[in-house]
Amino acid sequence: MGLRTVHFGHILARQPEVDWFEVLSENFLDTGGRPLHVLDQVAERYPVVLHGVSLSIGSVDPLDRDYLRKLKALARRTRARWVSDHLCWTGVLGRNVHDLLPMPYTEEALRHTTERVRQVSDILERPLVLENPSSYVEFASSTMPESEFLARLARDADCGLLLDVNNVYVSAFNHGFDAGAYIDAMPADRVVQYHLAGHTHHGTHIVDTHSDHAVPEVWQLYARACRRTGHVSTLYEWDENIPVFEVMHAEALKARAYRTHVMAAAG
Amino acid sequence: MPRAALDRVQRWMQAVIVHPGTVDDGIRSPAAAAEVATVEDVVRPSARLTAAERVGIYHGMYLGRMVDALESDYPALQRLLGAEGFADLVRGYVQAHPSRSYTLNRLGDHFPEFVATAPGLRRRGFCHDLARLERAMSQVFDEEETPALTPEAIAAVPADAWEGARLHPIAAFRLLAVGHPVNAYVDATRGDGRAAPQRGRRRGGVAVYRRMYGVCRLDLSPPAHALLEALAAGATIGEAVGRVLAQGGRARVAAEDLFRWFREWVAEGIFRAVTIERRG
Repeated sequence: MGLRTVHFGHILARQPEVDWFEVLSENFLDTGGRPLHVLDQVAERYPVVLHGVSLSIGSVDPLDRDYLRKLKALARRTRARWVSDHLCWTGVLGRNVHDLLPMPYTEEALRHTTERVRQVSDILERPLVLENPSSYVEFASSTMPESEFLARLARDADCGLLLDVNNVYVSAFNHGFDAGAYIDAMPADRVVQYHLAGHTHHGTHIVDTHSDHAVPEVWQLYARACRRTGHVSTLYEWDENIPVFEVMHAEALKARAYRTHVMAAAG
Repeated sequence: MPRAALDRVQRWMQAVIVHPGTVDDGIRSPAAAAEVATVEDVVRPSARLTAAERVGIYHGMYLGRMVDALESDYPALQRLLGAEGFADLVRGYVQAHPSRSYTLNRLGDHFPEFVATAPGLRRRGFCHDLARLERAMSQVFDEEETPALTPEAIAAVPADAWEGARLHPIAAFRLLAVGHPVNAYVDATRGDGRAAPQRGRRRGGVAVYRRMYGVCRLDLSPPAHALLEALAAGATIGEAVGRVLAQGGRARVAAEDLFRWFREWVAEGIFRAVTIERRG
């Protein structure tokens, strides 16, 4: 489950049965107050993974060494099982627009990103895990599909993949590609985590809002992916209109039961 | 048309999405036009959207994200200005002070100073004090935790040493001089939603501090603010009290006021340590 501020009290008081928590790294890098106090207690009892939004692995700006130093310290403090971020860039020319902006899928971008993933893994002293983004534009300069870019990046940079099944569905609608073929193109042995989430459909495009239950098509894609990868840690993301803990917990349990059912049916 | 290189694509896209006008204004802007000739050189249309409409999704989300981030740090100011007024203020602010940090928590660092000079802002003095107070609340929320002064540490100070003692505030402490009832306004916006005090002036101060990981605020009269300000600046208790007692007129304070303030500040955990200068 995702560790969210509105659930801090519930988690500390009830200590619910949760397999692990995913922590939004940036919420804990520059605080010495309650968030860190709570995180220390959570990390004492539960396994934790760090998930960030500010690595900007695809940017042409230099890597932010200050950010990486703090991220490494947080990973050590929480004994994080892995550290993940997104295949994206968040700004250039020293500026940060705080969005997960898509990459052009070119040989140049692949070389650039591969080198930076290696550098980050060296600095963090642990493998980096990258998530496929949801996106609303395709670049004219792209020469390969996103799935190929991601698969080659994982192999060349020796990194793990966080496969966000909802993002695959969102981008497939927005760009008109086959979501099933994307799932099938993922190197199964590189997938270390799944994300599931809801989205907002605007008719002409879908926006990845993490504000609702996942649609049936996303669950079907998840089943397709699980049949290739086997049991892989899965997180249900909910970042807008966050419901009470029990609702989010139920969604996480649903994902686990669904995966178990799929795997049993697959034999 | 040659394919745009990675650096040109990124500079172009950023120039478009942070532009304060429409997405078409952004596409036509000199910063974007310096990178590529047309939007179609960079972005493919989809089956349902033009290339400009697709970039427009990111353009539209940018300001909304900045507004959301600053609204979470300045909720009372947002309430005072209204959604539209606050968004207009943010639009100008992020042009003057775009985020250059990996964290949105730093986005509002210059907001109070911007409020002090932003054109066309009504009730500017009140807004400035309110922004300063909310900024202090955010800083105190995230400060390092330092343990407060214990009763045992206080009891260990000999009675005749207090005059030369210095009290050191905890890290999660900020002290503001204000000219408007902004602390009451914050209380009102968090309460039952009844009309909050917005006019008039109220000289004095507000102490913002953290206790049990919660952010607390304390209204201070002008002499109480002067005393706490002197202590926080490193004056001995004797020096600080001497300065306050030397003020005459309406600022005159009684000894019982001084004892009451000290008791309250210590009980609230505002100080982390007391030190005594060794003589000789």
